[in-house]
Amino acid sequence: MNSNVSLKDFLTPTWLLIAVGLVVGGAVGIHEMFIGHWFATNSSLVWTLPLVTYIFLALMSTGVSLVLAYGLIMHDETITRHTRALLIMAIGMLLGAFTALATELGSLLNMVWILLSPNPSSPIWWMGTLYSIELVLLIVKLIMDLRGRHGVFDLPLAWGTLIVAGAAAITIGAVFGTVIGRPDYHGAFLSVVTLVSALVSGAAAIVLLRPQSALTETAGRVFRQTALMFAALVLIRVVYEAHSSVVGMLGWASVWMLVPFVLALLLLQFAPRVLALVGILGVLWVQYSFIITGQLVSLGQTAHWYGAVQSYQPNIPEALILVLGIAVAAALIKLGEQYLMSNQRQDAT
Amino acid sequence: MGYGMVIDQQLCVGCAACTIACKIENNTPVGFNWCDKITRTSGKFPAVRYEYISTMCNHCENAPCVAGCPTQAMYKDASTGLTLHDPKKCIGCKACIVNCPYGVISFNWERPHQSWTENNRLAEGCFSPREMVEESGGEGSPHGNPERGTTYPVVRARGTVEKCTFCDHRLAKGLAPACVDACPSGARQFGDIDDPSSEVSRLIAKHGGKGLREELGTRPRVIYIRDYKPQRRFEPARPAGENQGA
Repeated sequence: MNSNVSLKDFLTPTWLLIAVGLVVGGAVGIHEMFIGHWFATNSSLVWTLPLVTYIFLALMSTGVSLVLAYGLIMHDETITRHTRALLIMAIGMLLGAFTALATELGSLLNMVWILLSPNPSSPIWWMGTLYSIELVLLIVKLIMDLRGRHGVFDLPLAWGTLIVAGAAAITIGAVFGTVIGRPDYHGAFLSVVTLVSALVSGAAAIVLLRPQSALTETAGRVFRQTALMFAALVLIRVVYEAHSSVVGMLGWASVWMLVPFVLALLLLQFAPRVLALVGILGVLWVQYSFIITGQLVSLGQTAHWYGAVQSYQPNIPEALILVLGIAVAAALIKLGEQYLMSNQRQDAT
Repeated sequence: MGYGMVIDQQLCVGCAACTIACKIENNTPVGFNWCDKITRTSGKFPAVRYEYISTMCNHCENAPCVAGCPTQAMYKDASTGLTLHDPKKCIGCKACIVNCPYGVISFNWERPHQSWTENNRLAEGCFSPREMVEESGGEGSPHGNPERGTTYPVVRARGTVEKCTFCDHRLAKGLAPACVDACPSGARQFGDIDDPSSEVSRLIAKHGGKGLREELGTRPRVIYIRDYKPQRRFEPARPAGENQGA
């Protein structure tokens, strides 16, 4: 623990931005949980930007965990020498995701209840359980790292994280993929999308937030390879949608979703951090698209209430939940860096 | 045993008495109904066809909402076959809504019947909404039905889902669901769909019938029999001159 941190360390533009995000987003979150409802939802379009925020941050955390687990298992020192920083990133992002989810569920206690009254046939139960285990594993690894305890448990923990994180990402896809009767929510394809998008966004986050040359090179390589896979998946979806007769789908227009990944693939070496950010935004766009599109066609009697096909645009409170989730993640990562990383040399190598 | 409903499309006149009866019986808030309708218009003039399909929870044998619910808040009642909801276990994840292919589960984004908590009087000497609730002794709203509360909260909590229960509180007393009793044309029949000698089974055996979106494998327990076919109800117009001077 770094005891040299002073108030001055918090008087920075980064902390100012984080504070604004926490206050404004937090106010919306508190209103949503305790007072009233501001989100642009109805009984047919129920999962909107706040849930997208959860998926986005949880998968990004998963991606960071997977890259770290890969480094530990393969003894890749360009990754393992940043173990603590990557653990802090993964924990911060996951807690940011849980914050967004709490506003979506309406209560923090609802996230605990999911573990107390389990239904193993439900993908959401598995998702909640796997991410809880993932969080515990990450915290255990961080505590062990802080206490300097490395040894026989390192590899089993790395394998455990790899399996749990991978399963969690696949299960998020299953939450949507096992839905029957909606036009854009079906099949194992979505589990592949969520797993690959976790790797893309996680690797891109490492490039963005840990700009050390050796790590940037390794994470950049993972980012480029997975971005290529993700672009292929997006292309498959574009072709599928273009030939679909279901009203509400974007058709060929979704081909624009390829642009961020093509740009990142071609130009990453010239401006890694900028293109990593572009890649992250591209992943957010794709995740947003598939989560929303699946709900746009009103089913049964709801077609009378809301129209056969709905349109959706996030409103300001929903956008502020995205800000809140990112602000919580950023605050925890900054706190971790300031308090827990003072005695670690993680220079550019 | 498994309760089910048969709706005779030939008898249904689309009057929406079922919708109103359900709303009153179950005290559903403004904004959604447990019992509602799908309407379809097809064909070209003059051969236009209009269908009115009364809808509610199908109490599917293979209910996707039950499979998708992470906390067992949505469950199948073993003794009746009903798909029921325990609001105490509901965490508001809305997985049941997304999983239901029929769009018959609704969510309480706000506290239901909130407008009845207001103290403002429209004019001096009038009741305020809150006073009306107090005066009537209703729960949540003046029309809150206390009998509903025997098996399910009269006013459901904010942040939970709700849907048709086939009026399980009435079934417990040997009564049919409110929508069945309210139907003026006798289009709705209710009973044990697993008992081959029941009226509902007899109607299905006689007319065939099918549930909504059966191809999904949900095995719905609301079965629609007969399509509506216009029938001549009146005597044909008589040729000009006939009966004249009678």
